[in-house]
Amino acid sequence: MQHARPNIEQAHAAFVYILIVLGAAASGEQWLGILVAVLGFLAINYFFQPPFDTLTVGGPNDLIALLAFLSTALVANSLLARARTEAERARKHAEEIETLSEEVKHAEALREASRLKDILMASVSHDLRTPLTAIRAIAQDIAADGSGATTRAEIIVGQADRLGKMVADVLDLSRLKAGAFTMNTEVNTAEDLLGATVRQFSGVPDAKRIETIIDYSQPALLGTFDFVQSLRVMTNLVDNALRCSHDAVTISVTQMNGSLSFQVADRGPGVLVTERDRIFDAFYRPVGPAADAGAAGLGLSIARQLAEAQGGSVRYSTRPGGGSIFTFELPAATLEPEESSE
Amino acid sequence: MTSVAAEHYRLLVIEDEVDIRRAVGAALRDQHPAIIEASTGQAGVEAVDTSHPDLVILDLGLPDLDGLEVCERIRAMTAAPIIVLTARHTESDTVALLDAGADDYITKPFSTQELAARVAAQLRRARVPHAEHEVMVADGLSIDVHRRQAIRDGNVIRLTPIEWELLSVLVSDPGRVFTHQQLFAAVWKRAFGDARLYLRVHVTNLRRKIERNPANPRLIITEPGVGYRFISPP
Repeated sequence: MQHARPNIEQAHAAFVYILIVLGAAASGEQWLGILVAVLGFLAINYFFQPPFDTLTVGGPNDLIALLAFLSTALVANSLLARARTEAERARKHAEEIETLSEEVKHAEALREASRLKDILMASVSHDLRTPLTAIRAIAQDIAADGSGATTRAEIIVGQADRLGKMVADVLDLSRLKAGAFTMNTEVNTAEDLLGATVRQFSGVPDAKRIETIIDYSQPALLGTFDFVQSLRVMTNLVDNALRCSHDAVTISVTQMNGSLSFQVADRGPGVLVTERDRIFDAFYRPVGPAADAGAAGLGLSIARQLAEAQGGSVRYSTRPGGGSIFTFELPAATLEPEESSE
Repeated sequence: MTSVAAEHYRLLVIEDEVDIRRAVGAALRDQHPAIIEASTGQAGVEAVDTSHPDLVILDLGLPDLDGLEVCERIRAMTAAPIIVLTARHTESDTVALLDAGADDYITKPFSTQELAARVAAQLRRARVPHAEHEVMVADGLSIDVHRRQAIRDGNVIRLTPIEWELLSVLVSDPGRVFTHQQLFAAVWKRAFGDARLYLRVHVTNLRRKIERNPANPRLIITEPGVGYRFISPP
């Protein structure tokens, strides 16, 4: 080395040492980078700086070399550290993306399954309903003829209606079980639902027995619910109440504690304590005087499930003075007063 | 509804199930002997083109074409009323068809008397130009659209500007189902924010002012999941 020494520029040696320093810094250990930088400085000083083979820090050149080595090590080290953090972040990103894409795939599979369920339910219900529609319409046409067949044709119409209702109930129950029921919850007014419920019974002789109680001194009560399905719940409850008594059926609505509470009250025989949970079971028919006429025992079960599917409930309680109260609760809603824009 | 006029109406029934086609025909033939039947959407569209029916009854679930497409194609050819035959759980499809120009809908299984009544109402609607109602009286309520005045039992009913807009849109075409979207577009005119949320509140407030019994409305009827219609009760 001594012989070569005069022929080697100090700068060239420095390049080699810088490479070594870089290599040490690239190991990722900051202390190693600094140590090698200091050693490199000492080596250059010892071997390549006159006076040779001595360690002297003389003059500004030495100081610059030392600083250059140290800063090279530190810069290389911090660059490396940054590159590592970036790489780590990228790896995490990639992992997240992978998890997300798996979740998306899973959600897509679920959506597809639910779409297939929808299609299946729609085609089953279409297939069951089509003959009923035809039977009903043709029997009604015969009944309207005024010939001798009128009474019998009217019976066919009545029975087709009954069968149609049962088919609808059974299909809805399987829809609910299959989770193929899509709820379309929106802000609605309680009065709108109540009015639509009463209208469901227009033309039915029993409609005269329906009474409604609404406090018109208060602003309209609001709730967040699926109008069509909530109408189904209300219709089932009112239908049930009308069937179990011959007195008035009272529908009222109140709002409290974040809930909209519809009450359907009758003066029927009530429900025995032992039966109060079971009346919400599918196909359960209560024993005793309230035994129904013509229903498959699905109305209350469907009502409760439809209520629960939109964050509500259906409960039974006894009515003071005799009879039953079915309470249908839904999440209440509030709207900011509308900015008067007109 | 004079029997003379009824003879001239030509009805087109587009329905793939032959028995339902037959049943619909049987229910309407007494009133309207000229009934054309089509079993596919394509045949239905062609029949509109060749036979120029006065009213179309369109089944929502045709095997060959999407109901919405059939409805749009028919609407592009004729202004004749379109009554859609729908099924339960198809409210969103029904709304799409009404938004695409259908006039009314009836859900299967339907009463044939109800269907006949709807057909009569739509034919009547199509014959009377809408703008001719100056003052309309319904269920004891008198509505003067031009003077923007509603009177019941001699008392003037005070309505807010939005309630007036809502009422005048609904009475501009009695019997027609307006979807939420159509009402919202007609009353608020521009689509801003949450107006849709307030539609139902305004309808409820309007009913409190004009209905005899707001809990059992007879003028503004709710079409569940679809919209509202104004009817003039007998």
